[in-house]
Amino acid sequence: MNINRKLKKRFANNVKAKLVDDKIVLSGNVSSWDEKVSAGLIASKPGGRVHVVNDIKVKGLEDEKTIFPFINDNKLDGRKPDVLIIGGGVVGCAIARELSKYDIDILLVEKEYDVALHASSRNDGMIHPGLDIKPGRLKKKLNNIGNAMYDEFCSELDIKFNRCGQYLCFANYILLIPIIFAIPYFNLTAAGKTHFVSRKEMRKREPHISEDIKYGLYFDGAGSICPYGLTIALAENAIQNGAEISLDTAVKDMKLSGNKIEEVVTNRGCIHPKMIINAAGVFSEEIAKMAGDRFFSIHPRKGTSAILDKEAKKNVNTIYSSFNLEKNNHNTKGGGIVSTVDGNVLVGPNAIETNEKENFDTEKSSIDSVFKKQKRVGNWLTGNDIITYFTGVRAATYEEDFIVEKGRNTHNIFHAAGIQSPGLTAAPAIAVMMRELINKEIPEMIRKEKYLSHRKTFPKISEMDEDDRREYIEKNPDYGEIVCRCEEISKGEILDSMRGPLRCDTVDAVKRRARPGMGRCQGGFCGPQVAKLISIEKGIPLNEVRKGYEDSYILLGEKNEI
Amino acid sequence: MKYDVAVIGAGPAGLAAAISAEKHGAKVVLIEREDRLGGVLKQCIHDGFGLIRYGEKLSGCEYANRYIDILIERMNYGNIELKLKTFVSKVDKIDDGFNLLLSSRGKLENIKSEKIIFATGCRERTPKQVSIHGSRPSGVFTAGLAQYYLNINGQMLGKKCVILGSGDIGLIMARRLTLEGANVLGVYEAKDSPSGLTRNIYQCLEDFDIPLYLSHTVTRLHGRNRLEGVTISRVDQNMVPIEGTEEYISCDTLIVSVGLIPENELPKTLNVPLSKHTKGAIVNQYYETEVKGIYACGNALHVNDLVDYVSESGEEAGKFAAIRDKFEQEAVEVTFTSDFGYVVPQKIVKDTEPATFYFRTSKIRENVIVKVYDGDKEIFKKKYLNLKPPEMEKIKVPIDGVSEIRFVMEVIQ
Amino acid sequence: MINRTFTCIVCPNGCKLNVTASEDNAFIVTGNKCKKGIEFAENEILNPKRMLTTTVKTNFDLMPYLPVRTDNEIPKEKVFEVMSILRKTVIEKNIKVGDIIIENISNTGVNVIATMNTEEKRYG
Repeated sequence: MNINRKLKKRFANNVKAKLVDDKIVLSGNVSSWDEKVSAGLIASKPGGRVHVVNDIKVKGLEDEKTIFPFINDNKLDGRKPDVLIIGGGVVGCAIARELSKYDIDILLVEKEYDVALHASSRNDGMIHPGLDIKPGRLKKKLNNIGNAMYDEFCSELDIKFNRCGQYLCFANYILLIPIIFAIPYFNLTAAGKTHFVSRKEMRKREPHISEDIKYGLYFDGAGSICPYGLTIALAENAIQNGAEISLDTAVKDMKLSGNKIEEVVTNRGCIHPKMIINAAGVFSEEIAKMAGDRFFSIHPRKGTSAILDKEAKKNVNTIYSSFNLEKNNHNTKGGGIVSTVDGNVLVGPNAIETNEKENFDTEKSSIDSVFKKQKRVGNWLTGNDIITYFTGVRAATYEEDFIVEKGRNTHNIFHAAGIQSPGLTAAPAIAVMMRELINKEIPEMIRKEKYLSHRKTFPKISEMDEDDRREYIEKNPDYGEIVCRCEEISKGEILDSMRGPLRCDTVDAVKRRARPGMGRCQGGFCGPQVAKLISIEKGIPLNEVRKGYEDSYILLGEKNEI
Repeated sequence: MKYDVAVIGAGPAGLAAAISAEKHGAKVVLIEREDRLGGVLKQCIHDGFGLIRYGEKLSGCEYANRYIDILIERMNYGNIELKLKTFVSKVDKIDDGFNLLLSSRGKLENIKSEKIIFATGCRERTPKQVSIHGSRPSGVFTAGLAQYYLNINGQMLGKKCVILGSGDIGLIMARRLTLEGANVLGVYEAKDSPSGLTRNIYQCLEDFDIPLYLSHTVTRLHGRNRLEGVTISRVDQNMVPIEGTEEYISCDTLIVSVGLIPENELPKTLNVPLSKHTKGAIVNQYYETEVKGIYACGNALHVNDLVDYVSESGEEAGKFAAIRDKFEQEAVEVTFTSDFGYVVPQKIVKDTEPATFYFRTSKIRENVIVKVYDGDKEIFKKKYLNLKPPEMEKIKVPIDGVSEIRFVMEVIQ
Repeated sequence: MINRTFTCIVCPNGCKLNVTASEDNAFIVTGNKCKKGIEFAENEILNPKRMLTTTVKTNFDLMPYLPVRTDNEIPKEKVFEVMSILRKTVIEKNIKVGDIIIENISNTGVNVIATMNTEEKRYG
């Protein structure tokens, strides 16, 4: 086997590959996580359907422990949904919403206190044209279909989508001829149209692109959305259409009989679903393992981005990034400078292999490297404009392609795994593909007559024209009381955010929905007001209001009572 | 024209500006987004306010109350209108002044005013702005936010606290938390000298044996839910953390007091030029910005060390907004050497009256003379035994007939 | 002989005082810019005193805690004792700035006074 020769060259006899039931199982011992990932990459064929399952042990490194919710009860005990979706990211929620068009019983479980808490809130929000993905890959197909669905998708869900386009900028002429020749190919294979743009044209729309950029490509299919806003919208619309979403609910085990999962054990009781959809992101391998259907491995890859003050917005109207000739062995989109739909600028992300699936720590070195890289195209970038930064972890397989298919060994599980960039773009298409897979199992699945395709969110007061705003304020006086002054968010909007179909009772959950605290003061002024509104609305004392996660209490209680 | 002067913000600067403008004959509207007057002074329960103005050591609340009493008394004359819980959403320049769009409970209204005084105070720099990395747990507060929770809501923040930044609010909070039973483990300051007043180091830290660590900063937060600890690092002269000096400190609360930034979001929309030194508007000695009819005072103009100066600038701004005609006047530029952190005002309109200047030194200096030149001609000098960046200095300089103004600092041999 | 250096807290100048005291309590103070410094220095050695500011609980929703201070300095060693008394104090009726909350607290001869009105007239 050719793979073993390559592995031997690199790892002597420490690592071995074996073909087991149509998957390549790696075993052995290495001394670092990076070596384990290297072995996986050596053994894998990009885009291949024969996946690497990486069982190599890393010396001194224990298996990552999943962080489970504290709560244990029987809330879901005995539930028998037609479909159990595991994971409340954009993929799981898009699937829930797609399936909720049909007359079936859907339960989605999410281990965190809100949806979109992992990769779905920790990305750059780009809707990709998918240019850099090789044709033939599933993610190419799903990206292109998903991209085309976005305008209608967002309009139905009442969330902002800005198909602003993207500039890929070149600083030297070496690639000029090949690029021009490649345009017809891009037009055939990518979403939207690709145009060659001269420096002059480019600077007409993006006057702040660096001086030394000579020419570029413009992709009109690219756009930007708020990724967690979309995920929340999908979840809410699914609930409106009868799906149940259970937060703080983690799958801990599955009981099989033959090739069928009979029972799914969670911290909220045992569930007996007919079918299970694995949309567990970085945990999709663990879920597959519980299901007796582990035929791929996830090697997490973290990325950090910075959000800049609205002040910096004058420098970016679209999305732009520089093309770099250096070999990029991390398979990322390479990041860029993005004008966000909420009026900020996002810079990033980078890409670093990691064994930690839930470590969202940021590092100064990541911010520095992201800035250094993007300064090539936006030399106006300054760290002084940073208002916040965040890290997300991508769920990459060694084949670097999406897996959307029925279980290979277990018959009632369906995987939506290995979904990393452009997973956000592809999400609506993944949902449709998954629905088709489910439909094959339940041919009698019928479309609901009363399906609500349109979800309406609460008003955004500061974005309204004066007359509309006045009308809203006169109808509901709370819309006149401004609580967050950086983002100009009213008390009415904050209350609305807590009254949606999906539970929202923490400062961060309110922040993701209504945006108080998203501005430059980061909640310095509105923090106490928001906490107080949560306390009143939810009927809990102030010291029980949490920032986000369990036990993330903000205050200890009244000083005289401690 | 409904109002002569609209004052935005009813903290110490805005209160003084509104009272002063009214006393000088203007019809005034005072707009405040909170439900009570006084601005940040409401939460400043500690004493030390008003020594210059009243010769007394008042608490911040008492100091505010003196102005509130005067305001309420002056309101009897009917020329001050107060709009509390009102947010200025937008300001537009119109032919004869400004149009303000105001949002309040149940109401969105437009008002017109000939002049505007921005007395909007400042906001706090956040942990992210000083590059603190790691996780994002609860238990991390800016000092002003912590002060609000503790003093206004009576809520306790934590048991084991680390304070980053030796600015006055950080020091005051160290004492306050200790008095309320918290264990303050230390105050860490990235600079090699304290940022707060010396007497606060003495009475807030030394009194309670709270250690002060200079040239140290917090680089990392730990904990997924509530803060579990911080990483402290030594920093070099450029305040860059030195690798290998990291130390983990277990704590549940981090109070960050790393500076204030004048709040100027509305002036920016009106194209009011700001100073890169103060981050506030560029003004002349009448507190008028480069945009005619727009004035700025208090901490929105530059971060003051004492509230007494904040009120003073409010009074001046209020007076000049009320009495000055709107006509173009040639202004001369005020320049200064890098020995100064900043000098305010940045422009001088020709006048026979001496002008008041506020300045800060850029670093600690002893035995220096501050000189002001008009060309080669020395027009003012003053000796200082000590100059410290946390402490503001105020001087009065004759400006009659000057063609430029240049501040220099000389060491006394 | 006592020789100590500390910061004067009387005003924001924060003079660095050096105090030398002989056994017969004759003080030599240097570093002070005004005569208040001498008085402070002597007190700081014989009987250090501090102002105390804090808040006390009220029965009013609009203002759950009322800011208060001592109307004069109290002995430094009594600071925590006074704090614990004030922690148990609850304001039940309306109070104006300057009103006495507790008279002669901890036998210091100093009163604790309100520094804010409980019921502020609300305008606008």
